[in-house]
Amino acid sequence: MIEIRLHGRGGQGAVTASRILATAAYEEGKYSQAIPMYGTERRGAPLTAYVRIDEKRVRERELVHNPDYSLCMDPLLSTQQAVADSVKPGGVVLLNSPMKPEDSKLAGDIKIATVDATSIALETLGRPITNTAILGAFVKVTGVLKVESINKAILKYYPGRVGEMNIAAVKKSYELVKGPVQAKVKEAPKIEVDLNVGGYGVLKDVSSWRVFTPKVDEAKCTGCKTCWIFCPENALEWGEDKKPHMISRVCKGCGVCANECPVKAIEMVRVEI
Amino acid sequence: MSYEVMVGNKACATGVKLARVKVASAFPITPQTTITEYLSDMYAAGEFDFDFVNVEGELTSQVVVQAATAVGARSFTCTSGPGLLYMHHPMQETASKRLPLVMAVVHRGVKGMQPDHSDLMSQQWQGWIHLYVENAQEILDTCVMAYKIAEDKRIRLPVAFGYDGYVLSYTAEPVEIPAQEEVDKFLPPYKPMPSILPDEADPATFGRGFGDADPQKPWQVHHEAALTAEPVIKEVFAEWAKKFGRSYGNGMIDPYRIDDAEAVLTAMGTIAGSAMSAVDKLRADGKKVGLVKIRSFLPFPRNDFREIAKRIGAFGIIDRSCQPGMGGPTWHQMRSTLYGQPGPQILGFYAGLGGKEVRVDDIIKIGEKTLKAAKGQKVEPLVEWV
Repeated sequence: MIEIRLHGRGGQGAVTASRILATAAYEEGKYSQAIPMYGTERRGAPLTAYVRIDEKRVRERELVHNPDYSLCMDPLLSTQQAVADSVKPGGVVLLNSPMKPEDSKLAGDIKIATVDATSIALETLGRPITNTAILGAFVKVTGVLKVESINKAILKYYPGRVGEMNIAAVKKSYELVKGPVQAKVKEAPKIEVDLNVGGYGVLKDVSSWRVFTPKVDEAKCTGCKTCWIFCPENALEWGEDKKPHMISRVCKGCGVCANECPVKAIEMVRVEI
Repeated sequence: MSYEVMVGNKACATGVKLARVKVASAFPITPQTTITEYLSDMYAAGEFDFDFVNVEGELTSQVVVQAATAVGARSFTCTSGPGLLYMHHPMQETASKRLPLVMAVVHRGVKGMQPDHSDLMSQQWQGWIHLYVENAQEILDTCVMAYKIAEDKRIRLPVAFGYDGYVLSYTAEPVEIPAQEEVDKFLPPYKPMPSILPDEADPATFGRGFGDADPQKPWQVHHEAALTAEPVIKEVFAEWAKKFGRSYGNGMIDPYRIDDAEAVLTAMGTIAGSAMSAVDKLRADGKKVGLVKIRSFLPFPRNDFREIAKRIGAFGIIDRSCQPGMGGPTWHQMRSTLYGQPGPQILGFYAGLGGKEVRVDDIIKIGEKTLKAAKGQKVEPLVEWV
């Protein structure tokens, strides 16, 4: 049996990716199972999904605790040791990251591969939805499934033009993936990061959810407070200078402020990794 | 026949479509909600024509489908956890009127959101047939079969089938979809049934007037109908197996590697799936443990268990619910079933309550303890929380 763990954020399509993998496996005559880990996830929050592929009907209902492969669809989560933890010895960790696999600091008896899925997604889909952009790399690195079956499965979920765009993302990630190489760091640092956090945004640091971050042009800003009124997370503080200031730990990077600003004084800027 | 990798809730909606349901009504509650969303998608795509009645709560949804069934429309409702508790009152009426309704219960605990069987278990006195389902394919198949069971003139009882929320309702796996024509041959159109006892009065009443001075009579008639359900369930499952080539034991129980077993575990719902893996691993170690997946909790498979009890040393009963002060419902049923016949030890295990993950390793430990008891060794405690 092959077991796969997928890390991502709500909105990146990790759950759909798990279903595409399960469908592709069945297309190849294998049995499969795609399990989403449901808590109180929502757009932007880290979440996990799992896939099992086997020759016979999968009966187990526990979560996948020791995967053969771990896929991370988010560039910031890709720096967290938790995405590599409990992977079977010799297993492959595939990261969405612009860095070379040799530069990853993830530790353990694992092989690391990297692909800049966010850039591929932005180019082919125009949005940072990285689920299909990582699947081409997955097939190339692991050889678990065929690209044709992945594409067939994608068209079941996204028929027509959207499907073709996603297939283009698969092709590109298949070509651009780097690795896998043996991880250099042997011993994992002892940091407990829960990549499946539920709970409420106001109580925790959500700064890592942002793909884009608001940047205020203070010269253009008239201080009308429209952004401050519309911010769904109270992430804008009103300064003594009568201008909005982002509270980093609360802002999810949704872009509502930039959208509502009547003088277009707020720009959403891609977060540097 | 076609296939699709689909989640449990979509398998349920597909079963509803294949059964050619005419009226559905439900109130949204996680993890049940997406069943009605899938039904809406099918309606919007022109695949499935039915009437959906929007309601302000579960109690009303039950009353709506009750009335629809009474006037001759095959009907469906679904709910979860606290939603089912809110439906408690009209459920008795559905069964008393002997209306062949089918309801999906997507298990959600009543002490939190995650799944256990406390919702459906709390409805044992409502006089429905209770089936428990393990995987997505079984949901689709059971949904269609449930109508055939419910509409059988010998019993005419509503059927509730339960499957675990989240772990099954949202897990996608390959499901074979039988052809509509084949299902039509298996499940003929539903015709309205007359009141259970003829009422000479004009205007006639439906369900209440038993024309008898004995106020106990409705309970007696109801109980006798429930007792006759077992052969009907077995017949319907046998026919399904013959027509569609997929069988679930005899319909009441689905045994796994019990023929030469010394100890037998019982489980319901998704835990039974993991338990099969556990049994395989125990067997690989030479440990003779088997599993009985209980498919029908009401009626309880008494005859089957009395037979199995004759040749084994111990039962390990896994309960995913607990009636505080009374204990595990399956454990109680088993002890009551085997009372008065010399037989195996009956160990109890609470597992998976409040959605606690039940791992294959947990079930292996349950199997090892039960095997120890089967070999005549002393085990303590008799009932434990896993």
